[in-house]
Amino acid sequence: MKTIRTMLPAVLLTIVFAASSLLSQRNFSTTYDSGRQVKLQGIVTRIDWVNPNAYFFIDTKDAAGTTTNWAIQFGNPLELERSGWKRSALRIGDAVTVEGTPARGTTRQVFAKSAVLTRTGKRLFTVSAAPRAAAPAAPAPRWPDGQIRLGPPPGKKGYWGTASTKVLVENSAGKVAMTEDGLLLNITDVDKVAPFQPWAKALYEYRQRHLLKDDPLARCLPPGGPRQFLTSNGFQFIEQRELGRILVLLGGGDRNWRIIYTDRRPVGQPAEQVPSYFGSSVAHWEKDTLVVDSVGFNEKFWLAPGGLPHTEALHLVERFTRTDLNTLKYEVTIDDPRTYTRTWTGGWTIQWVPDQEIQEYFCEDNAESTFVR
Amino acid sequence: MRTRIFHLFCFTVCLAVPSFALVQEGHPLTGTWSGDWGPAATQRNHLTIVMNWDGKNVTGMINPGPDAIPLGSVFLDVTNWTIRIEADTKDPSGSPAHITAEGKLDDIGSYHRKITGSWRQGTAKGDFRITRD
Repeated sequence: MKTIRTMLPAVLLTIVFAASSLLSQRNFSTTYDSGRQVKLQGIVTRIDWVNPNAYFFIDTKDAAGTTTNWAIQFGNPLELERSGWKRSALRIGDAVTVEGTPARGTTRQVFAKSAVLTRTGKRLFTVSAAPRAAAPAAPAPRWPDGQIRLGPPPGKKGYWGTASTKVLVENSAGKVAMTEDGLLLNITDVDKVAPFQPWAKALYEYRQRHLLKDDPLARCLPPGGPRQFLTSNGFQFIEQRELGRILVLLGGGDRNWRIIYTDRRPVGQPAEQVPSYFGSSVAHWEKDTLVVDSVGFNEKFWLAPGGLPHTEALHLVERFTRTDLNTLKYEVTIDDPRTYTRTWTGGWTIQWVPDQEIQEYFCEDNAESTFVR
Repeated sequence: MRTRIFHLFCFTVCLAVPSFALVQEGHPLTGTWSGDWGPAATQRNHLTIVMNWDGKNVTGMINPGPDAIPLGSVFLDVTNWTIRIEADTKDPSGSPAHITAEGKLDDIGSYHRKITGSWRQGTAKGDFRITRD
C-alpha cells in the first residue's frame, strides 16, 4: 500500500506527461481527471482520424443491457502516423478493450492509455516516446556568402521539430517542475517562472488553479509569441533573401505563418501597429545569430503554455542561433513593463527533422469532437 | 420572408463575431464594459466604463462622449479580485456628485467577464453590473 502511495504521484505525472505530448491543442489537465482510471469494453461505431486529436467511439453495454456511447481519444494523427499507425488499424464493428483516464464530470470521454483489439489481442496506437532520428552530425549549412541557412541544406528537405522543453520560464529560475501543458506541480513555484507584476501573478495563478481551462490555443486561436516555437508539429523557415524577408511557416496552431523582415526597415513603434498575434518583426544578423525584434502584439494569446500574460506593450527580442545542422538555439527576451517588473529571458533548443516536410494540421479539424456528451 | 431571415442571420453573425474578435488575455480590467446601475431592478441607468492599464494605474472614463466622467481612481485587489472605482461628476442640478463603486470581478478567464457590486452616486445608492464587451 505504501509503495502504491509512493508511486501514485509519479504514475499520475507520467500519464499527464505522456498524454500532453499527444494533445496538441486542448490541455490534458483541463479535460481529463488523472485521479481516476476506467476500463471499457465495446464495439467501435465511428473513427475520427483528424487533427488535433484522433477519436474512436464505442458502444458499451452495462449489466442491465443499456447501451452507452463513449468517445475515446487516442492521440494526434500526425504522431500516430510517424509511429507507423494508419486509420485502417481499427475498423467499425471491431471489439476493443480500452483503459484510460476519464474526462472530468459526467462527460463520456476517455483518454486511452491502451486500446486492445479483441480479435488479435494486439495493442493499438502506441506511440514511441523516443526522439525522432536526427540527421548525421554536420556543421550548420551556409549560403554562398557564408551566412547561416535556417532552412535545409541545398537540395534537401527538413524542418524544425521538437523543442527541448514545452514551457517557458526565466533562465535564472533553474528547474521548475511543470507538466508539459504548463501546469506547475507546486503552485508556490510561481515566483520562479517570471518576474510578475502583482496582477499578472494573480492572473497566472488563477489560470493554474483553473487547470488552464481558458487557454486561447484550446480554442484554436494562433500561438503568438514564443509559444509558436513550442507546438508539437514544428515549423519551417523560408528565407527569401531577394525580398528581404524570412517566412516562418508554423506546423502547429492552424497552419499560421509569420513574416520577419530583413530589409533593414526600422522597428515599428507599438502605437503605430495594428496589434496582431505575431506582431511586427524586423531582424538583423549578429555573426551567426539572427536577432529578431518584434512589437505590435495583441492581447489575445498566452505567451506560453501555463498562462503567461502580456499586454500590448510587449516587446520581444528573439535570438536564433543554428549551432550545427541539427540544433537551433532559441532565446527570447520579454520586455513588457505593464506585466513584468523587469525584462527577462528564457529559451530552449529545437531539433532538426531531416528529409521531411511539415504535415497538414488544422486545429479546428475535429472541433466537433471536443464536445460534451 | 427570406429577406427577413437573411437579415436576422446577418444580425446574429454581427453580434457573434465581435464577441470572438475582442478576446483579451492581458490585464483583466482593460477594455470596454457595459451594463447598468440603479437603486432597483426597475430603475436602471445605462453604464459604459472604459478602462486601460498603463502599467501603474488603471485609467479611463464612465459613459464616453460629451458627458464622459473621467475615472478618478481604480483600485483592484488581486488577492480577491475586488475593485473600487471613484469618480466625480455632477447631478442634474449641477451640484458635485461623487461616485463610489465597489464590486467583484468574476469569471476572469471569460471573454465576457463580469463585475457586480454596489454603486453610490451623490446621495443615490444602488447596485451595478457590467460585462466586458
